[in-house]
Amino acid sequence: MIELKNIEKYYANKGVKSYILRHVTTTIKQGEFVSIMGPSGAGKSTLLNILGMLEEPTYGTYEFMGENVTSLNERKRIELYRNHIGFVFQAYHLIDEMTVYENIEAPLLYKKVGSAERASRIANLLDRFNIVAKKDLFPNQLSGGQQQLVGIARALAAQPSIILADEPTGNLQSAQAEEIMQLFQKLNKEDGITIIQVTHSEKNAEYGNRILHIADGVVKGDVQV
Amino acid sequence: MFKLNLKIAWRNLWKNKVYAAINIGGLALGLTAFVLMLLYINHEESFDSWSPDLKNVYQIREKHDFFTPDNKEHWQDAVDSRMAALVKENIPQAIAVTRVDQEWDWNAGYSVKVRHADPVMIQKVKDADSSFFSVFDHQFIQGNTETALKSPKSIVLKESIALKLFGTTKVLGKTLKLVIWRNDPGQQLTVTGVVKEPQTPQTVGFNAIMRTGEKDKDPDNITAKHYCQVYAKMYGDLDSVSLNKTLQQVYVKAKKASFAKQKINYNDYYKDGKTPGLRALQLAEVHANPAIHLSWKDKLKPVVGISIFLLLVSVINFVNLATAQSVNRAKEVGVKKVLGSNKHQLLTQFLLESALQSVIALFLCVVLVEVVLPAFNQHFNVTLSFWHNPRLLLMIFQLVMLFVVVTLLAGFYPSWVLSNYNPVSVLKGNYANGLKGTAIRNVLVVFQFVISVTFIIAIGVMYQQTKYVSNKDLGFDKGNLINIRTNYEEKFAERLRKIPGVKYIATTTQVMGNAFNIPEEITYKDNNIALNTVTVSMDALQALGVKVMQGRIFAKEYKQDTVNAVVINESAAKLIDKYPVGKLYDVKSDKEKYTFQIVGVIKDYHNEGFDKAVLPTIYKVTHLGGTSMTNNVLVRFNSENSAQIIRKIEAEWKVAYPNYPMSYVTMNDSLNKVLEENNRFMNMIVLFSTISVSLSLLGLFALSTFVAKRRTKEVAVRKVLGAANYEIINLLNRSFLILVIIANVISWPIAYILIKKWLDAFAYRIDMPVLPFIVATVVSITIAILTVSIQARKAATMDPVTALKYE
Ligand SMILES: Nc1ncnc2c1ncn2[C@@H]1O[C@H](COP(=O)(O)OP(=O)(O)O)[C@@H](O)[C@H]1O
Ligand SMILES: [Mg+2]
Repeated sequence: MIELKNIEKYYANKGVKSYILRHVTTTIKQGEFVSIMGPSGAGKSTLLNILGMLEEPTYGTYEFMGENVTSLNERKRIELYRNHIGFVFQAYHLIDEMTVYENIEAPLLYKKVGSAERASRIANLLDRFNIVAKKDLFPNQLSGGQQQLVGIARALAAQPSIILADEPTGNLQSAQAEEIMQLFQKLNKEDGITIIQVTHSEKNAEYGNRILHIADGVVKGDVQV
Repeated sequence: MFKLNLKIAWRNLWKNKVYAAINIGGLALGLTAFVLMLLYINHEESFDSWSPDLKNVYQIREKHDFFTPDNKEHWQDAVDSRMAALVKENIPQAIAVTRVDQEWDWNAGYSVKVRHADPVMIQKVKDADSSFFSVFDHQFIQGNTETALKSPKSIVLKESIALKLFGTTKVLGKTLKLVIWRNDPGQQLTVTGVVKEPQTPQTVGFNAIMRTGEKDKDPDNITAKHYCQVYAKMYGDLDSVSLNKTLQQVYVKAKKASFAKQKINYNDYYKDGKTPGLRALQLAEVHANPAIHLSWKDKLKPVVGISIFLLLVSVINFVNLATAQSVNRAKEVGVKKVLGSNKHQLLTQFLLESALQSVIALFLCVVLVEVVLPAFNQHFNVTLSFWHNPRLLLMIFQLVMLFVVVTLLAGFYPSWVLSNYNPVSVLKGNYANGLKGTAIRNVLVVFQFVISVTFIIAIGVMYQQTKYVSNKDLGFDKGNLINIRTNYEEKFAERLRKIPGVKYIATTTQVMGNAFNIPEEITYKDNNIALNTVTVSMDALQALGVKVMQGRIFAKEYKQDTVNAVVINESAAKLIDKYPVGKLYDVKSDKEKYTFQIVGVIKDYHNEGFDKAVLPTIYKVTHLGGTSMTNNVLVRFNSENSAQIIRKIEAEWKVAYPNYPMSYVTMNDSLNKVLEENNRFMNMIVLFSTISVSLSLLGLFALSTFVAKRRTKEVAVRKVLGAANYEIINLLNRSFLILVIIANVISWPIAYILIKKWLDAFAYRIDMPVLPFIVATVVSITIAILTVSIQARKAATMDPVTALKYE
């Protein structure tokens, strides 16, 4: 599903190139659950951003579902966001002025899903994540774990084939974190959704089936769990 | 999607109530000023558009220098009545040509008496010839165009006047008695028609049009002229250029023929830049091109500028607050982008938000307009209405356009900034680069303050000029002096002189409120000098209380004074001779030569507004002041107790002229009327500046709140590092202070140029003062510091822990 060939990323500062990613080459197949690990500043987020087409690599090629997406025009990228990619963030990033229901609905609106279909999908998700009672609340009325559940529900609403999650449990207590990880595992196993997450915790990484170790922008290890 | 966006927009407004209120309130005020101006412009634009027929109607204008405030030639609408026949005979397309009285605002009206009722004064009763209604297409309720003025001694009333006089519009054949001046025996007129008030205002406005017969003929004596207005209705579309060419040729030919009969040398008459001229002006153009006074368009120019600026100030507030707030919206943008929203959708969303605010502002504005309209109407002496406007549809269209423009102006830039946020920087968490747009925001703040500071300076200078003008020596004593609107008559004057407390009864052709200037050329030591002449009665100069600078003024003891003695004013002395007393000069006409002797010089006295220079003038007494029939009788009182004396004068009047009520003005009122327009303008500037300055400050206040908030973390860190409160306040103040100072530097030359232009319109003016410039700068800086400091203090005194904990 994903092919990275010789990806490099650097920032030129006063003529000095500071490398963030070097020679990253890897393949991620449909249905994998990959955890990216490494020390702070290693370039994990940068790699995930490149995978999510939020940033462009300075060098190398990136193929997504057989298509070269190394540098993509805006319309094409938005097309991928609407149909194939779901994001989950460490800081949840729910829209404060929208209720739980509306937050989950937003991607469906952009995807121009009909209203009946929308209602049934949202009802389904609310039900599945046990947050039906919270649907008319605003994000600031929820706990962190609940907010992340909404975040994931939102990412799933458009029925993406891949979820990219940057430290999704970084702001959560371990009990809540566990709940989220179990959810990811279930989504991966039962629905066949590809998941790529960045995490600091060995324990969280265990939920997946492959771990990429990164240090100083270089892939140091690639382990199947 | 639309519904959701609207919901979000509403929640955002609600969350930031204070800023939203400032935004919307400010915008509503700016819009209100603008809409009032639009209403006014629409009103003025709508003149003479009540019938499609009017596009074929032309006003005839003649170039001459009679009755002008500056004694120079103008294209005047008061023309020789002979022009009507001239047009009719020489322009084949002229279907109908009419002669009608011009309006004279010194006229208090005519006395109209219906059977045994008390006489009432009615203004705008105009005399015309039989063609009036063939030229002006009015809608008859009673009677019709053909029969209305067919026979002399007929009168056509406006609907409202018919109701006022008779209580009904069914008045055909009824008679009324019209008394035109106080000892006019009066004439019986028969009502032959009633017309509806047209939909739009009219240049030839009237309450009644009568045909007394006066306007049917031109004077027999070739040297005499009757001045009136002439309008012609042409057949079909005319090329106005060739029409005017023909008129000019015909006019020059006629003038030459007439001069030949009067034995006047044509080339002698038209010299020193004087040229003959006759032309036709389409009625639609007449209102916008008055003969002598400034047109409404010129008068309105500064107001248009001011209201646009006011609107801009409020729009800038909007933009600044919206971009400053954008930091808070960055996350939303980033998230939406990764959820699959494109830039276009985001742009639409944010534009929708500003549209929502504009709509609320517009709604408030309509309410505000309704509230202030009565005061506005009274102040500007107009009758504007919003809902009952005949051009309501046009107004609504304009409002919709205004809404679109304001929404785009206010919303486009912030929306564009917002929708361009890069999702990565947002999602990485460092969206504190809300610094985006800072440069533009600073430019806008500077621009706003430039407007405000310029306004403050303008107020200062205007205040000083107004004070100068109101304290200026008028050259005559305006207290205890009234002017009765009537012609001087010796017998009646004698009766008034007997009333205790009356010091002088006199007449003059030139007094503040009603001045007629008549040009004359004199020959002094072989030099030809153009001067203005005024006819006075023997004690008019005493009655006015003028100051004698050299020689003497007229007195009964001197027999010569009713023959060839003249008094001149200082301006005339400057042109004639430094010591003119006793000197002789000549006035030549074709055959004869008259010699006059100058017996005294008086200080210049004012009889027009201060924008006009006092003309170099010669004062002459004719015996009994008989030829100075310009409706002025000056009454100078001995005592302050004028009310009682005026009552006695009125009693005398009633005995002498029972059919015509007396009407007078005090000189104080005349002066106020002259100053009125300027004061009105000044009031408006003060009002608009106050609004503009408060809006700018509100904007600055809100903006500094945001900036202080954005910098909370910086402030907290600095405090932890040991910065004192005042150091932090200074830190926050500095950035704004620089902007305000830059704004001041920019405003100075702008204000200087604009105000100089305004001052230059006054013949009597102060030198450009420095004080208002300094005051404006000090005031703007002080207020800005105060405003920002309030916010800065709040930030500075906040517990640093709270700020750092929530990062
Ligand atoms: N815009 C940028 N300019 C320069 N350096 C950057 C920029 N963004 C990130 N970096 C650097 O790239 C490195 C990797 O960052 P990141 O991928 O966020 O690391 P992490 O593995 O902690 O997620 C860091 O050292 C960071 O300082
Ligand atoms: Mg990271």
